[in-house]
Amino acid sequence: MSVIAPQFKFSEFVKSLLDNAFWILFLMVLVGLPAVMMILFVIDLPVIDGELLTPFLAFTWLVDPTRTLPIIHALMATDFFRIAVFPGFGFAALLAAGTIFAERKMLAKMQLRVGPFYCGKIEGILQLMGDGLKLISKEIIIPAKADKPLFWAAPVLFVATAAAFVSLIPVAPGWVVADIDLGLLGVFAVIGFFPIITILSAWSANSKYPFIGGIRALFQMVSFEIPLILSLLGVVMLTGTLNLSEIVESQSAFPWIVFLPIGAIVFFITMLAELERIPFDLPEAESEIVAGWLTEFSGMMYGLVQLGTYLKLYAFAALFVVLFLGGWHGPMVVPPFPYEIITEGITMGPVTAQIPGLPLFTQEMLNGTFWFVLKTVAVIFFILLPRGVFPRIRVDMLLNLGWTKLIGLCFVNIFIALGLLYAGVLGPGGLQ
Amino acid sequence: MADAVFLGLTVITIGSAIAALELRSLIYGSIALMGTLGGIAGFFLLLDAPFVALFQIAVYVGSIAVLILFTVMLVKRELIFKKIEDRRRKFAGIGLMLVTMMSLGAIFLESGIKDITTDEPAVDFRDIGADFVTYYWPALIAMALILAGSVTGALVLARREDVENDQRAS
Repeated sequence: MSVIAPQFKFSEFVKSLLDNAFWILFLMVLVGLPAVMMILFVIDLPVIDGELLTPFLAFTWLVDPTRTLPIIHALMATDFFRIAVFPGFGFAALLAAGTIFAERKMLAKMQLRVGPFYCGKIEGILQLMGDGLKLISKEIIIPAKADKPLFWAAPVLFVATAAAFVSLIPVAPGWVVADIDLGLLGVFAVIGFFPIITILSAWSANSKYPFIGGIRALFQMVSFEIPLILSLLGVVMLTGTLNLSEIVESQSAFPWIVFLPIGAIVFFITMLAELERIPFDLPEAESEIVAGWLTEFSGMMYGLVQLGTYLKLYAFAALFVVLFLGGWHGPMVVPPFPYEIITEGITMGPVTAQIPGLPLFTQEMLNGTFWFVLKTVAVIFFILLPRGVFPRIRVDMLLNLGWTKLIGLCFVNIFIALGLLYAGVLGPGGLQ
Repeated sequence: MADAVFLGLTVITIGSAIAALELRSLIYGSIALMGTLGGIAGFFLLLDAPFVALFQIAVYVGSIAVLILFTVMLVKRELIFKKIEDRRRKFAGIGLMLVTMMSLGAIFLESGIKDITTDEPAVDFRDIGADFVTYYWPALIAMALILAGSVTGALVLARREDVENDQRAS
């Protein structure tokens, strides 16, 4: 007998399943199919190869690989694919999820613990899924005297801002959601929204700990934004562009970290502060102020904030790779696509399958993505590492570091960049 | 398309500006102010000046609005919801605003703005930079000196002889 449900009866369970199936079928027949028919009645169906693309014809094509691959090609060329799947949200969320698991496991190993272990049998590999299901099923509790519109809006806005940041990152040649001319300036503009959302959510909870955490977050983010922007100016001076794709293109021979190590170090430190990670995790100091500005969030609202935090972490690591480590550049390791598959088809015993339009991705794109992901994962590793090593620093030390030392180092970095430019080492007439 | 966007931006900008003045809650007022500043960034985008638009967002929405929010949150709680009602001053303010806007509009319409051709390509931000260090350099230097002077003055004013504590970071 189960302890959780002492009244459990298998027959009742089967009945509930059948009930659910019956109601789903019933509603689909009475509501779903008429709705689909009404939509089909309104929209104009396209004519392809002289045939009207009815739903039946579309299903027939879907099971034919010679017809589906061009459709997949066309889908991959759309903006929707870029925003939702590859260089955009889906790719970043996948890396973010991997980061959460790797962080827990790695910290546990560093501190001689086991970490997630039981969920999923093999080294707790399904722990993240379990956590997600738990967060979805939990009740969302809103404090009685909270400012409800702002409190509801804050997690959504946080994820949206992080996703906007992700959309500016070029992953492989030509694979970027928003390839704007002023990409780096766009990054600065997007980063400026995080403190606003943080302080608004902290204020709207109408509770002491979130408010203290929010004020700390505001202090920290606003004061570290200035060295962050200044530390990237050296790269902009050397490349003469603000477009992130062009900045990556300029590093085909060597990454900028070779010439601007001070800028890279300063950017890394400010990155840790903007991400509120140890040793700069004052806004979420769990040993002082419960969970900082996240205290009153529960259920999926907390899950959304967590997702936004890790998307932001991925985006910052990717920005470091794009600006200082050469982005997608690296030795070609992906073998060229075997072109006899296109001309002769795949022979499996007596059957030969002709599959036109097969190379879904070019060799450059696969290679670029490989190197980009490798470098980004390395940078994320170095972002996670201090959490197992360092203690938290005090607020006055943090502000002192940000306002005096880092800004000074930024100017040193800018003068190094200017010296390289005017000495003719880099820029026109120089190495690049 | 551009006209519809322009109308939408105008409604957002003016509406949130009125909201910023009229809302009782100071926090929502400052959020409305952010809407106004963001709407102005939208106007810059419509005018093919993305550089200025992004700086508008980064500086005004990202920094100035944050400072205003920060100040508002440090105000005493009773003051946030305090009601000050004075109908005569309100109508006087509306009248003054109408007069000002009408005279400004008359000046704009007289200035020959109708004859401007608007099919110019977007100005490259590199040209803006080149103009700054060639034609406009005296203005740039003067601005830099004024800013440096004001920052130094603020530092001198804010300086205090704190009690030295050996636990503080030096």
